[in-house]
Amino acid sequence: MTLHQSEAIVLRTWPLRESDLLVSLLTRDLGKVRGVAKAALKSRKRFGGALEPMTYVDAAYAERPRQELVRMDHFEAIASPLALPIDYLRAATLGYYAEVLENVLPDHDPQDAIFRLTLAVLEQSQVGRCWMPVTYFSLWITRLIGWLPETDRCTECGQNFAGEAAYFHGLTDGLSCARHKKPNSSALGVDSLALAQRMLRDSICAMSEEPWTRQSGRDLRRFLVRTLERHTERRLNSAEVFSRMGG
Amino acid sequence: MSRFAQPLTQLIDELSKLPGIGRKSAQRLAFHILRATEQDAFALADAIRDLKAQLHLCSICHNITDVDPCQFCSNPSRNQAIICVVEEPSNIASIERTKHFNGAYHVLHGTLSPLNGIGPDQLRIDSLVERVQAGSLQEVILATNPTVEGEATAGYLLQLLRGTPVRITRIATGIPAGADIEYADEVTMTRAMEGRREL
Repeated sequence: MTLHQSEAIVLRTWPLRESDLLVSLLTRDLGKVRGVAKAALKSRKRFGGALEPMTYVDAAYAERPRQELVRMDHFEAIASPLALPIDYLRAATLGYYAEVLENVLPDHDPQDAIFRLTLAVLEQSQVGRCWMPVTYFSLWITRLIGWLPETDRCTECGQNFAGEAAYFHGLTDGLSCARHKKPNSSALGVDSLALAQRMLRDSICAMSEEPWTRQSGRDLRRFLVRTLERHTERRLNSAEVFSRMGG
Repeated sequence: MSRFAQPLTQLIDELSKLPGIGRKSAQRLAFHILRATEQDAFALADAIRDLKAQLHLCSICHNITDVDPCQFCSNPSRNQAIICVVEEPSNIASIERTKHFNGAYHVLHGTLSPLNGIGPDQLRIDSLVERVQAGSLQEVILATNPTVEGEATAGYLLQLLRGTPVRITRIATGIPAGADIEYADEVTMTRAMEGRREL
């Protein structure tokens, strides 16, 4: 048995047997791991409120030989999403991060850049200020996983968009120019293309000073969500909330 | 080929579908029922049948009940001007055990859960708004769990009911009775300090 102590982010929990929880955890050292938190619903001593999704924790867990699930021993919360007020949009935002990370990351594949990205967006995701971190996270996770197409030129002809809108389609990769767009494509505006370039260049802290509304970067978010959904072949439940809220 | 007679195997199969009951426990329970008197075994079967046949949701508060309206909504000695909003019917039992609440209830049957695709339309929120708009309420107590989803649901209800003349309150959170402050996490301790009251 190998004991581990690592910084981690709780992604999701599922009830298991009478009082156990199955926990999906994004650890800094080992990547995504799944394990069982025994009696987590009965006793709050070992986990407290640290099993809430997107809680940044110091996690102690044990890997057992020839067993896929680890044994979760003890979590100590470093930063909890419950420390700040929560509304429906913030809950959807936290759920979106958890759902995307759960769907796109393979098990036992540590990726420090994704871990740092998640911590950075979590810090910025506050009531009334969620649209920017959601967009930033969507863009960067798509890039870090390797699914982000070129955002400055047409995939078909390679021509630079040069101040004109790009087009995307739910069933095809990449962005197209007006000449090569597929029927029923959606437009990605000039402002959003520029925003994507800026987000790939600047830190999230620099972006956080700018005023954002639900309309800001809406087409960019939709493009990125579609890209993630197409590659994982799964609908993102939490992204539906963004659409329902007009974002 | 099955190790037991068909009816016994079927009972083991059905019992092992229950939460917290594995195959071994189901086998033990099945043999216990087999050894029990005919009267006891049939009483158990009748209780399960009646549970599904007679229980339904209260048309006012959506609690599980065998009479409509339920015992809380139809009781004239309870204060119907105060309603406590809970996530699940089982939460009512916890509040009733305290003997400190004499109002009525409203059961949402879940919380907003973006991860699981549960939005406001899947919860009993419309009927809560109707009860508030009917005008006879003085206070709505939001008693959803202090989890991300419970807090989001409470926040959503607060937004929805804010314009009404009804007083909206949230249950307190903090250190549980009998617990040691040394082992309290930061969020719990912060909330306990924020929610302190004058003695």
